[in-house]
This record gives sequence, C-alpha cells and structure tokens, in this order.
Amino acid sequence: MTTLSYVDSLAKAMHDALAENDNAVIFGQGVDDFKGTFGTTLGLPEKFGAYRVQDTPLCEEGMTGICVGAALNGLKPIHIHIRADFLFLALNQVLNMAAKYKYMFGGHHDVPIFIRAVIGRSWGQGAQHSQSPQAMLSHFPGLKVIMPATSQSILESYRYAINDFSGPVVSLEHRLLYGVNFDVEEDKLRTGENALTSYIVREGADVTIVATSIMVLEAIRAAKYLASYGISCEVIDLHSPTDIDESLIIESVRKTGKLMVADTSWINFGVSAEIARLMCQQGFGLLQKPMAAIGMAPSPCPTAKALEDLYYPNQEVMIAKILELVERNDIAIPNEKSMADVYKKFKGPF
Amino acid sequence: MKQLPIYQDLFKKALRIRLVEEDIISRYHTDKIQSPVHLSIGQEAVAVGICEALTPSDLLFSTYRSHAFYLAKGGSLNAMMAELYGRVDGCCKGKGGSMHLAAPEVGFVGTSAVVASSISNAVGSALAAKLLNKNQINVVVFGDGATEEGSYHESLNYAALHQIPLIFVCENNQYAVHSSLDERQSYQILAHANTYGIETHKLESGYDFVAVADYMKTLVASVKKRPRPVFIEIHTCRYKEHVGPGEDFSGGYRTEQAVDEWKSKDPLVIDNETISLFKEALLAEIEDSVNFAENSPLPTQQHLLEDIF
Repeated sequence: MTTLSYVDSLAKAMHDALAENDNAVIFGQGVDDFKGTFGTTLGLPEKFGAYRVQDTPLCEEGMTGICVGAALNGLKPIHIHIRADFLFLALNQVLNMAAKYKYMFGGHHDVPIFIRAVIGRSWGQGAQHSQSPQAMLSHFPGLKVIMPATSQSILESYRYAINDFSGPVVSLEHRLLYGVNFDVEEDKLRTGENALTSYIVREGADVTIVATSIMVLEAIRAAKYLASYGISCEVIDLHSPTDIDESLIIESVRKTGKLMVADTSWINFGVSAEIARLMCQQGFGLLQKPMAAIGMAPSPCPTAKALEDLYYPNQEVMIAKILELVERNDIAIPNEKSMADVYKKFKGPF
Repeated sequence: MKQLPIYQDLFKKALRIRLVEEDIISRYHTDKIQSPVHLSIGQEAVAVGICEALTPSDLLFSTYRSHAFYLAKGGSLNAMMAELYGRVDGCCKGKGGSMHLAAPEVGFVGTSAVVASSISNAVGSALAAKLLNKNQINVVVFGDGATEEGSYHESLNYAALHQIPLIFVCENNQYAVHSSLDERQSYQILAHANTYGIETHKLESGYDFVAVADYMKTLVASVKKRPRPVFIEIHTCRYKEHVGPGEDFSGGYRTEQAVDEWKSKDPLVIDNETISLFKEALLAEIEDSVNFAENSPLPTQQHLLEDIF
C-alpha cells in the first residue's frame, strides 16, 4: 500500500495516459503553464512535446468539437476544464454530438474523448465556479459520468476510460479533494467496466449512505463518529452516476432498512431523486424509515463564508439526519461543520 | 465546356442526385419516408464538384442538407434510401434519417442537424490527420447561416492559429430557413474569414460543376503542397423550401424570378440533350433503391438499444 494525494494521482493518470497512448493529446486552457492545471499536467509538455499538451484558446464548445473530430480520426483527446461550470459552454458538443455520434450514425463512429472538469468549492467560489453537474450530464444516454472520490478511484477509472473505453467520458473532480492523501492498493486496482461502478467503502448494518465525490469522505467521517456510539453505517461510493451498481444499493438497504443519499449537488432532480426512483422501483418496501437526502441548499452558491457554510451540507446536518433514521436522541452532534481540517488548508485563490 | 468528358461525368452524378430527390418528392406524400428532408435541388453542382477533387480516404463533414454530399462522395444509394425509409439496411441502421447520413467507408464522416456543429469536428479531424501524418484531405461544408454561430468563429481561430490543413467550404444559398443573409450578417463572410489570416476564395457560379471541380482540385493540390486552412465560398441556389418537398415562393421572403435566373444557367435544367443520355438508366437505379428500401426489414427493440456506447 502506498500513499498518494488526489492531485498526484491525477498527475500520474495524465502521465500514464500520454505514455501508454502515442495518440493521446491533452487540451485545456493553461495545461502547459507554470501551474499545470493545479499541478496535474506539470512536466508533461517537456516530456511529451508541446503539441501533446496543448494550451487552447478560450473556446469550450469549439475545442470540444475539435476533440470529437480528433477522436473520430484516430486521436485520444483529453480535455480539461478548470471549472465544471465552463463545461456548460460545451454542452452542444458534449450532448448533441459526442453522446450521439455512435448512435445516430448507426454505430459507424466511436468518440473516445475524456473530459476532466473540476468542481469548485470554498474560498468564495460563488455561483458560477462551484456547480456540480452530474445529474444533468447523466441524464443523456451516450455519455459516461464519473466522480472519483479517491486516488485509487482515479488511477483505476482513468486508465480504463482512456485506454479501453471507446465512448465519451466526463470526470467531475472535486477541487477540495486535490490536497487530500489517500491509501492506494495497486494490487487491488479495479479493471475493465468494474473501474466505473459503485462500491462499498465501509461496511455497516444500521444505515446505508450512498455518497458522491467529496461526500464519500464526509460520510466516512460521520460513520466513524457514530461507530463509537454503536451505530454502524454502510457507505457506498456511487462513483459513476451513469453506471450505478443498483443491486449493491438494494442489497445494502435490504440489510439496513435505512437510506441516506449525500450528493455534491442540489437534491431536486438529482442523484438523490435517481436513487429514490431506484428504491421505489426495485426496493419498494425495504425502507423502514423515509429516505434522507443531503445536498446543497436550493439556491445558487453564495460567496460570503457565512452563507457558504449554510449552503453546503455539513457534518451536523448529516449526523442529525442519520440519528433521525436510527431513532437515537442520546448522542451529541459534533460541533464540527465539515471537513474543517481540509478546508483550512485550502487558501485559494483557486 | 460541353465537349469535355468531365462535363458528362459530373452531369450524370449531379443529375442522379436531382432525380433521387425528385423521386423523394414524388413519394413524400405517402408518408413512407417519415424524416424531415432538406433537399439540395439546385445545389448539386457544389457537391459533385467538391467531391470530384477528393478520394475515398479524404474526409468530408457536411450539414443536414446532406443527400447531395453523401451521394457525391460515393455513399450507397440503396443504403440512403433505406435510411430514409427507416429500415435496418439504412446507412445508419435507421437511426439517422435524412439529417444524419454517414458513409465512412467512402470518407463521408457525417452530418449535424445543429447548424455549425460539425465545423469544429472537421478541424479536429484535420488536426488528427496532421498529427498522425495521414495522407488525407479534410473538408467541411456549411451554409452561410453557420458563419453566425460562435463555434464557427472558434473553429476558424483554432485552425488558423495551428495552421490546420482543412478546406472550409461555405455553401452560400443566401438563406437561413427564411431569413436572407443581409438580414442576419453585419460582416462579409470572406473578409471576416480573412481577418483570421485564412486564405479565402470565392466562386459565384455554383451551378457549374466543372468550375467547382476545377477550383477544388486546385485548392486540394495547394493544401497538399502547403498544409494550411483555406476557405472557399461558393454561391448556390436552393430551389425548394428550407425543409420539405415543396416550393415556398408564396412565403414572400424571396422571389421566384431570382431562382428562375439561376435555373436559366443550370445545366440540369437547360441541357436536355445530356439529360436524355442518362435519365432512363438513373431512374431505373432509383427505382431499384426504393425497392431495396421497401424490402429491408424494420428495426426492432433489439436495435433500439444498440450502439449507444
């Protein structure tokens, strides 16, 4: 087992992508500059050549279209957006073109493009630098969406998506995870389609928590706290909203009878709604209590720290909801808003 | 120009396209074809002229008004007709329809029903051809309306910045749906493209397939010799309505007189002698393609969920 930070795993995944694919090209605004996309592309232009690590004009839609065409004709493009919000400019190419090319041309074309988009949070990212569009993207057939929560997940899913998968993939990376260290078990890296799917990160018997991205870490923290009071939470990393392991969730809820969904985005029309659909259709009657869901408050993201603290779900809310599910009122809710130790390290400007 | 063999050769190709589309018009009322058709009648010379300069390994991206380019590039007529009929033997297995034809086996990559969307795809394809040292010319065709969209400008900038070897072909028929060019554009298409440092060309006789072919051959040779983006605007004329089998002069947005003036120069209208040389055999081929389409099976539930990833 080794320790690898999220950012270092991204850097390794980008390096390996270029080293293992002569036709892989990384595009993105600033990928070749002195910051190297938060450190994930540093050194790559020098090693692989300027054309393979290519700075782009500010043209999200055009560049995505260029990636689509390049993929059709033999390249493996990796396109990076330093904020997921900028990906919205490219939705025509992502949803109308990349996600449709194979189907609407009867299987003639594969579009193996890999898009990295970073979810911003904290330090006043505000309404247009913090959105988490997994629900919207996952709605459209023809596109895979992943939300790696750990370094291990990056190493395995990026390798599969870039080397083996022939369709378009969007990875939503969480900016606050970049500085976090993770244990990586290289001999246990998932391969093939398994690299995309959901998995249990902590076993438990009392409550099932289905979480995405950084909320997986929050769920683990909550689970650890509650374990000392005899409450056992099973935490499932959803990992890919387009490739949910439905039976994993159903079986977990069959065991626990209680479910919370913790997502990095808004609750309405989102991952929570999708998991609720799953429970209604395939797990009707398994829930012993109404399902709980936590996500962002139903407003655009404010910048003031005081408002931001109210906007994002925190440990207090998460633990309070779990205690409701297990009907315990004898446990103190920790006076810790969230992953404060991580956030304190995050000084901005990015 | 009538004496040249190439005239007859291109005439036959252009006439084939026109007769195919006239056949579609004749059957459209039956509802056997349930796909919005954007007919190229009047614009065939651009397609056959462009494709005359290309080999099957050269890649062409075009628009939803795609029948002419699909056929000119060498796409199978049977497969196109089956596609319009929504059958499994269609060139896209019935999932594309008139607006999404593709024939990659002859370098017809595909089309988009969202205007301007395939322009950047062509830039990327040409970038790949450059980086992978493919001996291949990439061409993208779009209408005058596409030049108004943002991704068009992004594509021109990138292509010029990186000297991507791509031939941009603006097929200018003056109208976007029912809006004329002067109601839509504050710029001149070529002057504007030229501001990106892209070499521009203009051909006003878009009814003249030999002229288009000659011009295109010169451009292809030039791009092969010195890889870079070049841009050609070809004037043409859409005889039929924007979408559908009819005419729409009663709409009042354009005059029949202007179209008649164009028709008076169109070999496919005025050269009855050459028409009679080819017409009978072409009609028989088209009849066969309709039979092929009608006898092709309908797609099933199994096909519905295939080819998504």
